[in-house]
Amino acid sequence: MTLSKCLEVEKVVKHYSHNGKHVHALDQVTFHVHKKEFICIIGPSGCGKSTLLKIIAGLDRPTSGEVRFQGETVKEPHPKISMVFQSFALFPWRTVLQNVEFGLETRGVPKAERRKIALELLELVGLKGYENAYPKELSGGMKQRVGIARALAVDPEIVLMDEAFSAIDEFTAQVLRNEVLELWEETEKTFILVTHNLTEALEMADRIIVLSTRPAKVKHEYHVSLKRPRNRSDSKFLRCQKELFNILKSELEHTIVRHKLKAIHEHFKIEDMESFQR
Amino acid sequence: MASKFLGKSYKTFLNNFVSLTIFLFLWEILSITISSPFFPNPLDVWEAFLILLLKGDVEGISLTTHIVASVSRVLLGFGLAVVTGIPLGLVMGLKRVAYGSVRSILEPLRFIPPIAWIPLAIILLTGCARYMLIIWLGAFFPILLNTMAGVQTVNPTLIDVAKVFGADKKTIVVKTVFSNALPEVFAGMRIGLGVGWMCIVAAEMIGGEMAGLGWLILKYGELLNVSGMIVGMVLIGIIGLLMNETFLRVEKRVFRWRREVTL
Repeated sequence: MTLSKCLEVEKVVKHYSHNGKHVHALDQVTFHVHKKEFICIIGPSGCGKSTLLKIIAGLDRPTSGEVRFQGETVKEPHPKISMVFQSFALFPWRTVLQNVEFGLETRGVPKAERRKIALELLELVGLKGYENAYPKELSGGMKQRVGIARALAVDPEIVLMDEAFSAIDEFTAQVLRNEVLELWEETEKTFILVTHNLTEALEMADRIIVLSTRPAKVKHEYHVSLKRPRNRSDSKFLRCQKELFNILKSELEHTIVRHKLKAIHEHFKIEDMESFQR
Repeated sequence: MASKFLGKSYKTFLNNFVSLTIFLFLWEILSITISSPFFPNPLDVWEAFLILLLKGDVEGISLTTHIVASVSRVLLGFGLAVVTGIPLGLVMGLKRVAYGSVRSILEPLRFIPPIAWIPLAIILLTGCARYMLIIWLGAFFPILLNTMAGVQTVNPTLIDVAKVFGADKKTIVVKTVFSNALPEVFAGMRIGLGVGWMCIVAAEMIGGEMAGLGWLILKYGELLNVSGMIVGMVLIGIIGLLMNETFLRVEKRVFRWRREVTL
């Protein structure tokens, strides 16, 4: 099977300074993405996953290395790469319909046509009848549906998702994940989802890129061989989960220590410390 | 839901009606106690208002002429403040360097009350330009500063969104930064209009033109016609209130996407 390389992340290094402190976020990150693949990028919190996604989106430039989309270096946002944001990031002053139309508006699509496209997508994500609502009137799950419709409206090749399901309640998130998978199966689009949710990654991805702690390197590329649709309670699924967890473990420990210490500071709970020492 | 809301506004109306009645009643009692020809009661003021409305002032100039004179001056100066304050606020909000560079001029200027400019305006300017300068000085700074503040409240993620979806610089400024700042801009305009309105009256009292509510008050003051003076004062208050309320209504309508517009 010969798959065309759709996106190439090549030795991407990123240094930046934050509040006067130097941060080495990414260190020689290299991986390739094929057309119609569903990729999850997973790693401990604060490892630079979002920085990497921003670089792929063309919102940030790598210190060295490059990202190529269909062979061309990504230097600025590419019209064929769109994005779904963690905190939805809808324009609060625009109605649902106007939010979905935004990307078409900047591309100069005539009003009647962009309306037609937006309405179709809103129906697709199950928001028919909410065209004229403002974001503040919607629940988190509905907002993210708008975010997804907005990302699809520009007919992208690649849809980047930055922790797209983490700000939604688990039940709604599960429904949305399934819907996104359906969308992905129906179209020829490539999805790249950044997440710190291991189960989510196993459920959705063809391939999981495991990043290490900062400075992030590609620690492992995990091919998910599970058949779709995947079942979380399936014994194979659980085995994969354990396998993936073991890969992540050493990396996670860093953050576990941090989280535990934070909990100790916050609550002065002795039992936390005991369970941690055990 | 709707009837509950109506009930609430009806109750507010009733409460205000009651406090207004009590206020007028206390005023009446005070005037009886003081019992001076220079301390009119509410009915005297009402009578003076009717005379002004029906016959015009002592020189035969109608009340409408006074009101139109004042309001049109304010609107001219205010308009000038809008077309200067908003673009400048936008530029200085986007480019902190620009603001930093002119801060030593702007900040002290802001604290010179518009009224302090009146003598200079009288010496240097004539006619409407005098008033426009004073109004502009009053309205400009709230508009400028609110626009600047509004520009800076934009969520950087929204700018990223605009970029990802192909927006160029102009689109980002107009459709993201400015749209985001618009509620603040409107609030600045509302405050600016209020300050401008307060200044015009002061300006008219010394401006030397024969029309305007400020001038009316001064003229009646010279004639020791206290009732007439109070009519002028009350009208200034009511017109200010109406302008503010109109603005608030517009804001509530335009900014439906926001939670609420505060007073």
